[in-house]
Amino acid sequence: MAISDVGAYAHLTPEEVEELGRELDAIRAEIEESRGDGDAAYINRVITIQRRLAASARVTLLASRWKPAWLAGTAMLGVAKILENMEIGHNVMHGQWDWMNDPEIHSSTWEWDTAQPAEQWKHSHNYIHHQFTNVLGHDNDIGYGILRMAREQRWHPANLGQPVYNALLATLFQWGVALHDLDLEAIRRREKDPKVMKRQLRQIGQKVRRQLAKDYLVYPALSGPSWRTTLTADATANLMRNVWAYAIIFCGHFPDGALHFTEEELEDETRSEWYLRQLLGSANFEGGPLLHVLSGNLGFQIEHHLFPDLPSNRYAEIAVKVRALCEKYDLPYTTGPLWKQYGQALRTILKLSLPNRFTAASAPEPIGPEVERGRKPDRERPTRRLETGAWTRASA
Amino acid sequence: MKLLDLLAPRRPVVAGANSSSWSQPPLDPAYAVPVPFACGYDDGRASLSLLNKARVTQCALSRVCGVCGEGLDRPVAFVGTAAEDGRNAFHFPPLHTRCAERLVATLQDHDLPVPGHDAGEPLTVTCSAFEFVRPTGADLDRRPVFVPVR
Repeated sequence: MAISDVGAYAHLTPEEVEELGRELDAIRAEIEESRGDGDAAYINRVITIQRRLAASARVTLLASRWKPAWLAGTAMLGVAKILENMEIGHNVMHGQWDWMNDPEIHSSTWEWDTAQPAEQWKHSHNYIHHQFTNVLGHDNDIGYGILRMAREQRWHPANLGQPVYNALLATLFQWGVALHDLDLEAIRRREKDPKVMKRQLRQIGQKVRRQLAKDYLVYPALSGPSWRTTLTADATANLMRNVWAYAIIFCGHFPDGALHFTEEELEDETRSEWYLRQLLGSANFEGGPLLHVLSGNLGFQIEHHLFPDLPSNRYAEIAVKVRALCEKYDLPYTTGPLWKQYGQALRTILKLSLPNRFTAASAPEPIGPEVERGRKPDRERPTRRLETGAWTRASA
Repeated sequence: MKLLDLLAPRRPVVAGANSSSWSQPPLDPAYAVPVPFACGYDDGRASLSLLNKARVTQCALSRVCGVCGEGLDRPVAFVGTAAEDGRNAFHFPPLHTRCAERLVATLQDHDLPVPGHDAGEPLTVTCSAFEFVRPTGADLDRRPVFVPVR
């Protein structure tokens, strides 16, 4: 659906939409004005903890032939990788800490501990995903090009394999993300510049070689007689990180209530409309402070999408205000426990492996009384490209 | 040192690997000088008098340079007019300092305004961070601006 089809939004007048935008601007300004030493201390503390955790894991794994050491070392290494990717790498690359003017903790210099080069992530995630959030045919995060995640997407018999693809995506998530910016659909349509693709593949190759050498050659070699158990510990820690990152990311946009949109006049979208699309296309999950840190504060996915470059440690306080605004303007605020949010995303994956006629929509798509605001709803607009995967395109 | 270096994730440097890479920029039809990334369109239009709103957004979010399309570094430079400096709101996207110097020199050589403007002497400011501000429904100028954090 287009944003103008959303009943919860359609009841707002253009003036109310702009007023909501001003209130969100005020929240942003308040955080920017109060941003300072306490926030800098937070990210420095997280980085210190992460590095100590990783170092402790490496030392512990020297004795990994002893099972308890393997378990402890693997767990510490997995958590260190999760922290590095989620709370540090992802957020630093959004520019959340650029204001500190720290040469290391800066979006232009941070390289993260995963197979995808940071430079490609900043294009596929920061730009494509955050600018075209949940817009079918634009946002490659909708099912990562292999899963049918919206009823508007055309069904193909290959979608029957979704439960299997989903399991593979979860376990191999790092490698799926590594290929994300190549835009497999553009390659299939022969729209991708072969020279750029070759250079991107070379860049991915360089990063992958270093990552593989680090985890599966150098560290096992440094472990001496424990090389074999260190190698399995590294593989297990990477698997932990893969599955966790996949689950958190899928909770951000696919639980019931998070809406998908068709192509709109994105160039004409005002700041308030952009805010609304982010708000309605994202979903939070609830949990304690540790869960939020380990998930990169993406349990506050709504707040992250509204303010992707504000420090992640402030999302919890922003969430209180955003939720109050949603109540004031009678807008949905999608949230729930982690297990429930993931359960709903998993249910969507399983349901949409079948054609629409065999399943019912999990949540009603509200078409409420509309206020004329100049943008036509979907039913009055021409049909758009709805595919995200190569096979669905082939079936057209 | 070498071992530590091997153990830390390191940036794989491949020139032109960025999706926005602009390593062979087209020439401006009137002045025969290379056109910045933010002044070109996917359909082939490219001129120092143009400013592509979609690419401006891409530069902001992907954190790439508005001239060469490669990843930004520190400090970040903005090229704009005195009025923009006064408002601390720039229309032209962030740049490498060396790209900013080249752009200003080109504009001055040909007595041209900053792309996206009708007039005004170009000037450069540097900063560590910036805020990307989308236009509101009330703005007459419906282009996003950059607010350097200084």
